[in-house]
Amino acid sequence: MLAAVSLVLLLLLWQFLSVLIDRTVVPTPLETWDALVELFRIGDPMSGRSVWTYIRSSLGTFLKGFVLAFAVAFPLGLILGYSKILRELVEPAFEVLRPIAPVAWAPVFVVLLGYVLGPMMVVFVGIFFPLITSVIFGVTKIDPNWIDATRTLGATRIQTFVKVYIPSSIPYLMNGVKTGLGIGWMCIVSAELYASPVGGLGFFISNQAQVGYWPGVFAGIVIIGILGIITVGLSDYLHKTLSKRMGMDA
Amino acid sequence: MTDHGKDDTGTRILIDGLGKTYRRDGKDTEAIEDISLEIRQGELVSFIGPSGCGKTTLLKLIAGLIPPTGGTVEIDGRSCTTPGADRGMVFQDFALLPWRSVRKNVELGLEIAGVPKAERRERAENYIKLVGLEKFADSKVYELSGGMKQRVAIARSLVVRPDVVLMDEPFGALDAQTRNIMQAQLIDILGSTDQTIIFITHSVDEAIYLSDRIVVLTKRPTTIREIIDIPWERPRDRSAPEFNVLKKRILDYLEKENVMEN
Ligand SMILES: Nc1ncnc2c1ncn2[C@@H]1O[C@H](COP(=O)(O)OP(=O)(O)OP(=O)(O)O)[C@@H](O)[C@H]1O
Ligand SMILES: [Mg+2]
Repeated sequence: MLAAVSLVLLLLLWQFLSVLIDRTVVPTPLETWDALVELFRIGDPMSGRSVWTYIRSSLGTFLKGFVLAFAVAFPLGLILGYSKILRELVEPAFEVLRPIAPVAWAPVFVVLLGYVLGPMMVVFVGIFFPLITSVIFGVTKIDPNWIDATRTLGATRIQTFVKVYIPSSIPYLMNGVKTGLGIGWMCIVSAELYASPVGGLGFFISNQAQVGYWPGVFAGIVIIGILGIITVGLSDYLHKTLSKRMGMDA
Repeated sequence: MTDHGKDDTGTRILIDGLGKTYRRDGKDTEAIEDISLEIRQGELVSFIGPSGCGKTTLLKLIAGLIPPTGGTVEIDGRSCTTPGADRGMVFQDFALLPWRSVRKNVELGLEIAGVPKAERRERAENYIKLVGLEKFADSKVYELSGGMKQRVAIARSLVVRPDVVLMDEPFGALDAQTRNIMQAQLIDILGSTDQTIIFITHSVDEAIYLSDRIVVLTKRPTTIREIIDIPWERPRDRSAPEFNVLKKRILDYLEKENVMEN
């Protein structure tokens, strides 16, 4: 209920600002809606491409960056959580890299990896840090008695890893996924704004701005917002149900 | 049942000059000063002593979970420096894995031993029944009461049939009635196996009811204050005069060492 009120207030504020500032650069919600409908009906008026091409391109890059970050951060986080020495070796370096806005790497990645893999790497960086931080935190939160109990049942080191370390860090991992997806989604659009030729929603927006078609820009922004809400909402739901089912609050 | 503790065929557990000092952040805590004791196969030995005197520490040393800072623990000549499935442990705070159901917690040790699924299920089922939790086999840990969790922990450690069972106040979270039932069941289980039980309790009554020997510990850093043999037939009569005379004597001592009986 309050959520609905909040959204209505947002739309009113938007309307107010667009009238107040400049309707040509900040179109009203209704004008944006019209542009959005047009966009889905006939596609990008400039290139003639369907809007789904842009969406698919952005989501594809995003997904690849996510999978890569997941594949690296989960095992590495487990290892760093497990070994105090390795953790103390690596963490200072992390602390230096973490505050750098991922998109700052975009020029470097694009030159090194090209227009397709470059933006993906930006997403990777954006998702990697929250993910690995959560996994490390999860491992350090393991009740030492769980490990002791498993060991007195005859478990080898590898078995304690499989039976305790991995499952108990999953809710924390999901918490990291939630944060990571939000950040990653911001990264993809900004990387695409920079690395134009590849397509994607960032490319679409900067193109529309270049020709001065502002309702198109805002239509793009709305699509990004909606996709972002869906991604984060989904992972939030997944994290909550999983933590509850596992009897843990992470 | 009657030949309990009278099996002299071989020494099972030999604790010799055992000591443990924890070192944390440069601060030393001497938990165990010096404990030496032989425990025979099939014997049930209780340890009773003031709060925080080092009872859990002693069990962890026997389990091989922590290294001693002095002395040794041996089982049949083998040093207990690493944990193994031959020594099961029931943890004071249960240490159940919260993401596993009751059944899956009980099956954990069998999974580790590589027991096939069907057999695992059947064996776990037996022990879940034994502790009276068949209605809760598929419940999650967080849905259980403290007493139920404790019974799951007991089933989990017994199902792999360890030679030695280390029990850290295993009945502490149970109500008086369930506690008495579990004590009687433990006696039954013991009657049919050769398992050695090392049992920690705060309850003098429980120690006298169950044990072949009671080891009374001093305050921290702990040593053995006294070892009491209890050769009486089981099941024991809690209202017998000698039961209560002994109970009073141990209680008086513990009170002097400032502990509360529960
Ligand atoms: N890992 C540890 N590091 C440092 N000190 C510890 C550690 N574990 C236990 N101690 C200390 O060693 C002493 C003995 O602890 P222990 O848990 O063995 O006592 P206990 O007899 O089992 O207590 P309780 O009756 O409360 O169960 C305590 O003073 C405790 O604070
Ligand atoms: Mg204890």
